[in-house]
Amino acid sequence: MTITNITQEQMAAVFPKVAEIMAGALGCDAEKIKPDASLIDDLGAESIDFLDIVFRLERAFKVKIPRGKIVEEARGDLSIAQFEQDGVVTEAGLARLRHFLNEVPADRFKAPLKSADIPRLFTVATFCALVVRRQRESAAAPGPQPA
Amino acid sequence: MDAHFRAFTFVDRITELDPGRQIRGRYTIPVDVPNFPATLVTEAVGQLAAWAAMAALEFKSRPVAGLATHIDFLTSVQPGQVLELSAELETLEEDAVAYHGNAQVDGRPVIALRDCVGPMLPLEQFDDPHAIRERFELLRHHGALPGTWGNVTNLALDNVGGQHGESAHATLHVPNQAPFFADHFPRRPVLPGTLLMNSNLELVASLAATLPASAGRRWVLRRVSDVKLRTFTPPGGTLQIEAKLTQLSADAASVSLETREGKRMIASARVRLEYA
Repeated sequence: MTITNITQEQMAAVFPKVAEIMAGALGCDAEKIKPDASLIDDLGAESIDFLDIVFRLERAFKVKIPRGKIVEEARGDLSIAQFEQDGVVTEAGLARLRHFLNEVPADRFKAPLKSADIPRLFTVATFCALVVRRQRESAAAPGPQPA
Repeated sequence: MDAHFRAFTFVDRITELDPGRQIRGRYTIPVDVPNFPATLVTEAVGQLAAWAAMAALEFKSRPVAGLATHIDFLTSVQPGQVLELSAELETLEEDAVAYHGNAQVDGRPVIALRDCVGPMLPLEQFDDPHAIRERFELLRHHGALPGTWGNVTNLALDNVGGQHGESAHATLHVPNQAPFFADHFPRRPVLPGTLLMNSNLELVASLAATLPASAGRRWVLRRVSDVKLRTFTPPGGTLQIEAKLTQLSADAASVSLETREGKRMIASARVRLEYA
């Protein structure tokens, strides 16, 4: 099973809690939290909201979510220079992002994409997938589970 | 008076330190001040946690106020009392620190902070790293002279109004100059989040005064939740604070708080009052 091979059932299992957390963190009605809603462009999230959401997800799902993990995992085995040049995502980098963030509507991946604007692609579903991946890692890891 | 480490500093001594994990310290409330707001006790705990984070990251960065899931106000404090402060760092990474903290007086809990998060920013933007290191060494070894804070900081609310029993609103004019700016922070003066919280709680008190009450009982602050500070407020700004009653029962009330500068949301929180 590849890291992007997350089933709809796995996403659906975490979505209600993720949506509840995002609604609480962003101070909006839960009805606005749709899977393909962009956190920044549709829900108005700022950097402090991303921190708030990540810490709430960690507490709720008992997983550890290192910041910057999404981009690092998307980059995969590409070097930083292969992934971005002068602050702009390369063609190869954009292809990797499109493949890794396959929950994001394809038409949102537009070149040129500044590296600083990568978080604008993140949707509610992106964080659902992040939680599922972290849960898998926790389940597979030997020894004590994260608190 | 040199305001650095005096005008808005609330840790006199660091008594125990496990770098990046746990810290204990104390602060003596000056005996000659008329009062010491509970939000400044919160500030003391936050400052203690900040020392632990800065020391662990070799004073390259410092945390700023960001998020607080719960702050429980358990009892008031009096001038002359010694605050025993403690903080446990849940996580510490380059971009943020997450911590819990407490303050006690004579073994009695005064304030409890849970699930607080402070974004980490380059220290040199706010203060002289050398001066901060020196201060840290002083706190760790001899301790600072207590009783140096003497400014009862009163940010007056203006244009207080609202709907009786439902809401309250007010204007807060952030001063262009104030002693606390020189200490918070020397290289980037900003309104302390705990002073903004204090102003918010004053507005809540004015709303609570319009709630149903009987003789001998009053509405008491118990908890502030979901505190979020979105941006810094520099000197000279004009803020609008709004408090709305969201729940009311015989024994408890919940109030939502929003602070804006123009259309920009600056801060938000929820408050729980209990009828005691």
